[in-house]
Amino acid sequence: MSTSTRALSSSSSSSPLSIQNQFGDFHKQLEDSGVIRERIQSLVREMERAIRLMQSSIILIHQSLPVSEVLEKSRFQIDVLRELYKRLCEILSECPGQYYRYHGDWKTETQTVVSLLAFLHWLETGNLLIHKEAEEKLGLDSSEFGLDIEDYLIGLCFMSNELPRYVVNQVISGDYDCPREALKFLKDLHSSFLVLNLRNDFLRRKFDGMKYDLKRLEEIDYDVNIRGLSAKKPKQDQDAEA
Amino acid sequence: MSSKSSRLHPHLEEASILISAKKPRRVLNNCAMKEEFEKYADYLNQLNDKRERLVKASRDVTINSKKVIFQVHRMTKHDKGEVLEKAEKDLAAVTDQHVSKLVKELQGTDFWKLRRAYSPGIQEYVEAAVLCKFCKNGTLLSLDEINKSLLQLGDPSVEPLQINILDYLLGVGDVTGELMRLATIRTSDGELEYAETICRFVRDIYRELTLLVPDMDDNSEMKKKMETMLQSVMKIENNCYKLRVRGSEFIPMRTLNCEVKVSIVTHGEDKNLDS
Repeated sequence: MSTSTRALSSSSSSSPLSIQNQFGDFHKQLEDSGVIRERIQSLVREMERAIRLMQSSIILIHQSLPVSEVLEKSRFQIDVLRELYKRLCEILSECPGQYYRYHGDWKTETQTVVSLLAFLHWLETGNLLIHKEAEEKLGLDSSEFGLDIEDYLIGLCFMSNELPRYVVNQVISGDYDCPREALKFLKDLHSSFLVLNLRNDFLRRKFDGMKYDLKRLEEIDYDVNIRGLSAKKPKQDQDAEA
Repeated sequence: MSSKSSRLHPHLEEASILISAKKPRRVLNNCAMKEEFEKYADYLNQLNDKRERLVKASRDVTINSKKVIFQVHRMTKHDKGEVLEKAEKDLAAVTDQHVSKLVKELQGTDFWKLRRAYSPGIQEYVEAAVLCKFCKNGTLLSLDEINKSLLQLGDPSVEPLQINILDYLLGVGDVTGELMRLATIRTSDGELEYAETICRFVRDIYRELTLLVPDMDDNSEMKKKMETMLQSVMKIENNCYKLRVRGSEFIPMRTLNCEVKVSIVTHGEDKNLDS
């Protein structure tokens, strides 16, 4: 601040000293929140690393590695992620109520984490990983630091994108029942999503993409069934329906 | 739960019958899934309703704050006190009737989560409040002062609404545009030194803001405002320049013939009024 501006200010009818004080105070506060943001961002970089490692083990599922081994390999990274979320929660406890001020910094990573967890859960149990279970897996507690429901739902949409590739590779390795199972699951998931009233936002666009995964799975299922490759014949379905 | 969802989506019911005939385990699974999604649907519905209410309230705050700003522009050198009093009364009405609606919606984490829904209204409100205060006292209304006035809003059992620094600064950033207009109108009305007062005030604000912008959360919006602000500052400066240079030729006329002076001052400034 040059002397000339000072001189100008002092002759002003406004009270620049109070302006300076207030803005100096703002500067301090904004710097503090900047520090928090930097800490979060460095944590998120660690998250990215853990996610990459987890993805690289999960990719092996496409090369017919047994599910149990894939689960075993990713377990360690899940522990790492749980630890990182704990630290994130600690940082945010320093600024109560400001979860969503910084949310943008970790939401993409969280959505990816959900998609990986949900995929693994489906491989393991054939079921959908529900929101509460996802929180438990990451050691999150809604009362302090929860998993945002929209992030969770977007994660599920990402997970659906993984299914067609998985099914294709299962069929290559001779598992002809997989398409039916996967299709049934995705149909359920898709119809469950229809319960939601979505806005015209990111989640909506991701969900709109899910139908292409569904279509792909239907095609694979058709291919397998029409050639009588599946153990259970499609006729049984028709019988059951009738 | 399941009957409700099947009414909404008849094909889902078919699907579950189809599956139930085959594999009983799956039925539970599908129903459980849908039951879960009913919860998510409730959450999303409530969130979206709240967002809509906030957007509406924010728009009301904006419209009515704009009216306050126009009221301020209407002042002349003779009825300043009266006009500003009316503006302040209107502003208080905006606070009580419209800003108050935001209070109970923005409890806890919603304050930051839904910021984008209400931020435009708050910015306009800050702008109106700051403008009123400047015209009255020539000082910058501080965030603490605004927030103090908001403390008694709403139910005492809920936490009061406190405007955050970012919205305050964005609002202050907008004030310079209004002050530029005010400077032009005031000079046309014959208050020549008023433009210089405004000029100094706006420069102070601009200078202080340049120091803060890099530290702001999402500063792309603010950066745009800074450019506009600099243009406003320069318009006011050019205004003052013309007054000094051309006005000096008309010093005797200033006191003698108001009409001439007005035409000199406003000449070429009309576009400022429109911008």
